[in-house]
Amino acid sequence: MMNNLNIRKNNEYESQVRQFLKDLPITLPCIRSVVFIDANHIQVEVIPSDILQFYNTVKPRFLFILLTMVALDRRREYANWQVRTIWCISETPIFLEVVTNIDQSNTVPELPSITPLFPAANWYEREMYDFFGIVPVGHPDPRRLAMHYHWPNTNFPLRQDENRSTFPPYISNDEYFQNRTTGSGVMEIPVGPIHAGIIEPAHFRFSAVGETIVNLEATFFYTHKGIEKQLEGLSIEQARYIIERTCAACTVANTLAYCQALEQIAGTSLSSRATFLRVIFAELERLYNHIGDTGNLCAGVGFHVGIQEGAALKEILLDLQERLTGSRYLFGVLRLGGVGVDLSPSDLSLLHKTLAEVRKRYQRLIKTMLLNTSVVDRFTGAGIIFQRTARELGAVGVAARACGVDRDVRRDIPYAAYTQFNPIAIPLRISGDVLARLEIRIEEVAESFRLIDAAIQHLPDGAIQVPLGSLPAASSGFSLTESARGAVCHWFLIGPNQTIKRARLRTASYVNWPLVPRAALNNIVPDFPLINKSFELCYSCLDR
Amino acid sequence: MITQFFGIKTIGACILQLALVISLAPLLQGLIKTLKARFQRRIGPPIWQPYTDLAKYWNKLPVASDQASWIFILTPFVVFGAMLFLAVLVPVLGISPLAGWDDLIVMLGVMALARVMSVLAGLDTSSAFGGMGSSREMLVSVLVEPGLLVTLTASAIRAGSTSLSAMSYSALRSQGTFLPASLLTGLAYVFILLAETGRLPVDNPDTHLELTMIHEGMLLEYSGRPLALMHWANWIKQFLLIALFINLFLPWGTTLNTDAFAWVSNSLALTGKFIFAAIGVSVIEMLEPKMRLFLLPRLLMTALLVAVLGMIIPNLFR
Repeated sequence: MMNNLNIRKNNEYESQVRQFLKDLPITLPCIRSVVFIDANHIQVEVIPSDILQFYNTVKPRFLFILLTMVALDRRREYANWQVRTIWCISETPIFLEVVTNIDQSNTVPELPSITPLFPAANWYEREMYDFFGIVPVGHPDPRRLAMHYHWPNTNFPLRQDENRSTFPPYISNDEYFQNRTTGSGVMEIPVGPIHAGIIEPAHFRFSAVGETIVNLEATFFYTHKGIEKQLEGLSIEQARYIIERTCAACTVANTLAYCQALEQIAGTSLSSRATFLRVIFAELERLYNHIGDTGNLCAGVGFHVGIQEGAALKEILLDLQERLTGSRYLFGVLRLGGVGVDLSPSDLSLLHKTLAEVRKRYQRLIKTMLLNTSVVDRFTGAGIIFQRTARELGAVGVAARACGVDRDVRRDIPYAAYTQFNPIAIPLRISGDVLARLEIRIEEVAESFRLIDAAIQHLPDGAIQVPLGSLPAASSGFSLTESARGAVCHWFLIGPNQTIKRARLRTASYVNWPLVPRAALNNIVPDFPLINKSFELCYSCLDR
Repeated sequence: MITQFFGIKTIGACILQLALVISLAPLLQGLIKTLKARFQRRIGPPIWQPYTDLAKYWNKLPVASDQASWIFILTPFVVFGAMLFLAVLVPVLGISPLAGWDDLIVMLGVMALARVMSVLAGLDTSSAFGGMGSSREMLVSVLVEPGLLVTLTASAIRAGSTSLSAMSYSALRSQGTFLPASLLTGLAYVFILLAETGRLPVDNPDTHLELTMIHEGMLLEYSGRPLALMHWANWIKQFLLIALFINLFLPWGTTLNTDAFAWVSNSLALTGKFIFAAIGVSVIEMLEPKMRLFLLPRLLMTALLVAVLGMIIPNLFR
């Protein structure tokens, strides 16, 4: 089922989508205003009471893929709350931004929930309540998400009047576990938030009949860092340091989305050397993640050869990254307007040589793994995600491509120098099990090797960084990148004097975590660590 | 050969074997761990790590859940006591000091006692992991116990006695004679050994993936000295099962003479065979991933059938 589409898909829809957007104000009287921000980005304003009518009308027409949902506390400036929902339409690079203003005169800001229509909006809306106190009316599962029930529901951290250093009292409350699975023979197995390995906290509550999982409730956000609050008012340079450290394993993807968003607002055009270097760094990050994950999958089944070889290869790559950039996890390689690290010809030959060695050893590891029938048996049929589930929840990355959702930002909405390397092979599987996710990773690793080699070969000369230019206050923008775990979409609002006023970091893990409990259903409890590892999502990317 | 009364010699032999087994069992565990690490290109813990682990546990205060009853408190002593008894009973140096008393049914019974107590203790604390470990242990043991019984019975039929010493003696006497039957039963015994000692592909002894544990799950609530006893008992069990394997299925190189030269050569041969067994276990653990839990019955059923074959074959060609 290899799919080597080199051209962007769904080009045939593009003209239809454009026509549809042009006709929007005529067909839908509930739209208050329409702004064409650029050719591919249209902003419409809808009043809160018309939201459901709007979505009900447009939903059947095209495929709406939720990119992010941003809430803003604008009571001081405009006396309202604003919610912006950004959609990608039918896998074309055309974005629809739906803006809703909620008047501040309401004591409790309310917004009709769109989760019943678009299940992908579930977490965004719950988080909106936790951070802003905006109530999603009609949400099917309005439990708290990021701020657990121990947090009082009078403090909403991202409101402007909420002080950063406030430490509200702890409330003893067990409400989160209200919706229990009951019945004869159902056993509850609480796991975490403190785990037996060196991983970050999350609480998994299994309801199992015998060994079969009938329900899994997962609670995350135990170590929420409050980065979005922290970013408010920081200069754009300081903000880069913080965004870099949101998650070590996705540094390049996160920072690149930040840099690109700001460069897009400022209208900066990068030197082509910088864009090629960005591709090299982004692919290096994908490589060490995917190769490390291959080893981790072996840990899920107790296959020691694979665990050790995977760890060794990952270490070689991290070491290489330290030699090239001074940072094992590629901190500080990206700058606004370019990159911060140049690669000399000797660096490039070291990179090429090391990657050739890693590639050879990785192929041998893959052979060892896939020729071991016991390993393959454990992988096959475990943790199946159906395509329908993946589409409903808006899955991204490896998890989506493993069940037939053919999306990859590098090809669909190309950034950096990715257009130079067409065709980019995007692997696709339809079975959606652990084996499919492994195979996707294996093929993506091969493609990353190719991309890095090609980038080394065609690396143009030139400056590595250009001045960013000035960012007008109150301008906003977002950018997508493809991390090792899937599409990252960060949204930023610029404040006065080149500062960040509001940031909404949406990582791939944020979208994909809700898939994990779905994948675990009807599997047996001892298979869960394997299923979880096959997604290999970050906790840190959630706890931003 | 078979001592009818406990003479001073018997008691001396008992003490010698007991001291040997309980002092060397952690060493065997350390050897397997180190070998496994080396095969994975890790340095791994030093070979005497299990001793230092025991010393560490010994100096820590135990903590018991307030849900725990007397079963939880009693179990480590019962399990360790059972293993001490087996350490005297099972033939390690060719013949058991209690030869004649060492019926294989007694051995299986004592092992079952230890297992039942562990399982109850796992359930006793009403922790979810203990319960999971216990239920899986029962799932595995339902097939492991008959497997062990059939394997040993196959040897017993050949020896014409259910005494472990008689079986070991018969294997030693017939050494060099290649028997397809003993090959088959030996193979079945290896599967059973891996399952009994909680090793891959049945259980992962290194795992702290809470959700996949079997043996570790039952021990999860133990700490301090009781934990030391549980671990130690498990290592003794592993040592004894390997010793039995060596005596029944790897008789080569051990003689029945009692002169000084035979003592030296026998000790060397035994040491060599233990190291061989340790290498074998670590290689299997390295190459095999953990099986899907519900495929285990199939694996153990295969072992059982192979053992049955081994039992039938010699009788076919009699």
